[in-house]
Amino acid sequence: MKLIVCLDDKNGMAFNRRRQSADRVVTEEIRTLCGPAPLWTDAYTAKLFADAPPADLRVSEDPLHQARAGEYCFLETAPVTDGAEAEEIIVFRWNRVYPRDRVFDLDLSRRTCTQTREFPGHSHERITMEVYR
Amino acid sequence: MKLKQRWMAGLAVLALSLTLFSGCGQVTDTAVSYGLKDIPAYSGEPYVAVNNNEPLFTDDERKNDQAFEEYAPLDDLGRCGTAYSCVGRELMPTEARGNISQVKPTGWHSVKYDCVDGKNLYNRCHLIGYQLTAENANDRNLITGTRYLNVEGMLPFENLVADYIKETDNHVLYRVTPIFSGDNLVADGVLMEGYSVEDGGEGVTFCVYAYNVQPGVTIDYATGDSALAGETPTGEIGQTGERDYVLNTGTKKFHLPDCASATDMKAANRQEYHGTRDTLIQQGYAPCGRCKP
Repeated sequence: MKLIVCLDDKNGMAFNRRRQSADRVVTEEIRTLCGPAPLWTDAYTAKLFADAPPADLRVSEDPLHQARAGEYCFLETAPVTDGAEAEEIIVFRWNRVYPRDRVFDLDLSRRTCTQTREFPGHSHERITMEVYR
Repeated sequence: MKLKQRWMAGLAVLALSLTLFSGCGQVTDTAVSYGLKDIPAYSGEPYVAVNNNEPLFTDDERKNDQAFEEYAPLDDLGRCGTAYSCVGRELMPTEARGNISQVKPTGWHSVKYDCVDGKNLYNRCHLIGYQLTAENANDRNLITGTRYLNVEGMLPFENLVADYIKETDNHVLYRVTPIFSGDNLVADGVLMEGYSVEDGGEGVTFCVYAYNVQPGVTIDYATGDSALAGETPTGEIGQTGERDYVLNTGTKKFHLPDCASATDMKAANRQEYHGTRDTLIQQGYAPCGRCKP
């Protein structure tokens, strides 16, 4: 399973059961990244892709435990703790600080960062994509 | 008149709600004087959810998608009241922020500590951040807030709202109320509420209290005096020994900023200065005999 998350400068993911932020450029990046592979999300996150769904969007109340090897799982508001064994973790960093009560609590320092790329978003000046294996 | 009425109605609702969950709230005309006993004491987090994170806007308010901004008049002590806006793209800044240093909010002191990010204990804290409504030196929108309140407590919510609006072109009801205990000149904290209108709060919904504290520093909220934690709060001289003075370059005297002699001196001879007393004396200046700085 390949885990996708969006994080602020303090590894925050969500506040009050809502994502910290969204950017249509990131949404498109994720759609492109997944290609024909399944992308698992919950119903809340699936709405991000309403206008341009990925090739194989699969919606579940527990997407983290549904995604299998080679498949993607995009988590925004749910705990990521059980994703510790993910074969790959893709992080989109907002490079901003937002309120947080859900944080990303996996230890990325035990992994190798194999790719870093920066790009401008629609509503964010600079977004950083990092891939950890 | 219409704007004023809307502000008064909003304040009434806010006051009622605060009273309901405080159990001992008192409301004055322009500042909410509020018993803080039901808000937990600061325990290391810059903000805490209030009212289960549900803002106190009425049903009618939640239907309004027309941009506006309202700032309560200062009260008899010169303190800010509620700042309230329906923030949209049309209110957001189109140019860089201007100078706001001429505004001296109640309790203002220029004081520095090595333990504070950027050293300055106090910032002129926008109630509604510049990135939302482009207000510069509006004295109804600036309070004396710690660096910690400004950066750790309030900025995350301003960023959340600003980026949501930029992404969606929707509107966000946004209200910030400074909470003063009694006649204190420095607020204990601020109540911050946000609600995204067009999507019924799905994008933005919060109701939080942000603490006007600075870890490592003790603040006397009645006056704004401060000291390192464990020491007795004093006036404007912080850990670095620096403070604001007014110099008379003609008489070579230096004064406290509120000294009558500083007010009366010729503008040509007046120079504002921030630094230590010893440095001024080394430069040939003598302390004023009236204010004895």
